[in-house]
Amino acid sequence: MRRWYSYRVPADTSLFTPLHLQPAAVCRLAFGAAAEWLRRHAVSHRALVAEHRTGLVLWAVQLLTGDPITFFDADQLDVEVTGRVRGGGSQFECEVAIGPATGERTRLHACLVPLRLEDDGALLGTPAALGPAVMDRFLADEVDQRPHRSPVPRLRAEITARARPLARARTPFVVHRHQCEIADQWFWAEAVALGERGREELVIAGADGLPLLRQAMRVPLQRLDILFQRPYFLFDEGTVASTAYEWYGGLAFVHEFLDAGDEGARRPRAVAIEQFPGESPS
Amino acid sequence: MRLRISGALLRFTDYRSVIDVDAGTVEAALLQLADAHAPFRKVLLDRSGRIRATHKIFLNGEQLAPDQLARPAGASDQVDLITAISGG
Repeated sequence: MRRWYSYRVPADTSLFTPLHLQPAAVCRLAFGAAAEWLRRHAVSHRALVAEHRTGLVLWAVQLLTGDPITFFDADQLDVEVTGRVRGGGSQFECEVAIGPATGERTRLHACLVPLRLEDDGALLGTPAALGPAVMDRFLADEVDQRPHRSPVPRLRAEITARARPLARARTPFVVHRHQCEIADQWFWAEAVALGERGREELVIAGADGLPLLRQAMRVPLQRLDILFQRPYFLFDEGTVASTAYEWYGGLAFVHEFLDAGDEGARRPRAVAIEQFPGESPS
Repeated sequence: MRLRISGALLRFTDYRSVIDVDAGTVEAALLQLADAHAPFRKVLLDRSGRIRATHKIFLNGEQLAPDQLARPAGASDQVDLITAISGG
């Protein structure tokens, strides 16, 4: 049986939009939850890096929004987390559920890739499976030989082939240190925030001519998928190329994270896909 | 030769992203950089003194394999030192 860990966090106003939980806040809570699960059941994140010379870098994330919850609905949020290794130790996967004590919780699935770190002081690394000393900390039920596969390539192909594009925008950005983790590499949840920014820029620029875009501000995000290919680092300049699509009665936003000035010739550093449901008739 | 440093390596060059060096090859330029910025030496070189495989090195936009670092380069050439990934 897989081991779970549950705890509660205070519900402060920074975790919420007027509609629901902030997706980027869910990602931060989930990352902390994964670290806590590792600490309790396998090896602490600090020991993993400092003693086992192993880092973890995000590769794929999926967020599925649960029942809408606002700041006024609960004093605390329940966090439940479990973890396991996949692909013969080439991936660490965590599943996190966050929300009030009752109702459908927002769920986040994250797949991380282990890196063997250099003894260079910069935490540079190369992908490598978890070593036996770490693998031994997982129960048999927490080791799945099958690798996780991201749904992003197929979903992106399906949307771009079948859905009607509504609007496009390009939003430049520079990565600053407050957006980074310890190695001056962007913290992965910044992709969520920058994707949201790209979407909102689309709404600001295009909603007067295309009111449907405002739906992405009026209803909570339903699903978010991200696939990371290459990270950004401190002071890197990038562009979020965002395209809005009409998608199954709602909206989908495909965000490609490009190098600054790149018109899409190179493979994106990351791709994020946000999906919003259609509005219920009032 | 113009060296361009970015990302996770900046803190080892005191946040200088463009550094001009006078060297005849790419490798010589990188070693000169390591000599000028002591903390950078450990990041750039492994214990046997070879440039670590975690660095990607480009000469005028062309990625160089480890055995191509002795390639001659002059004052008008640009070398980019790119970090592939780190794991904090």
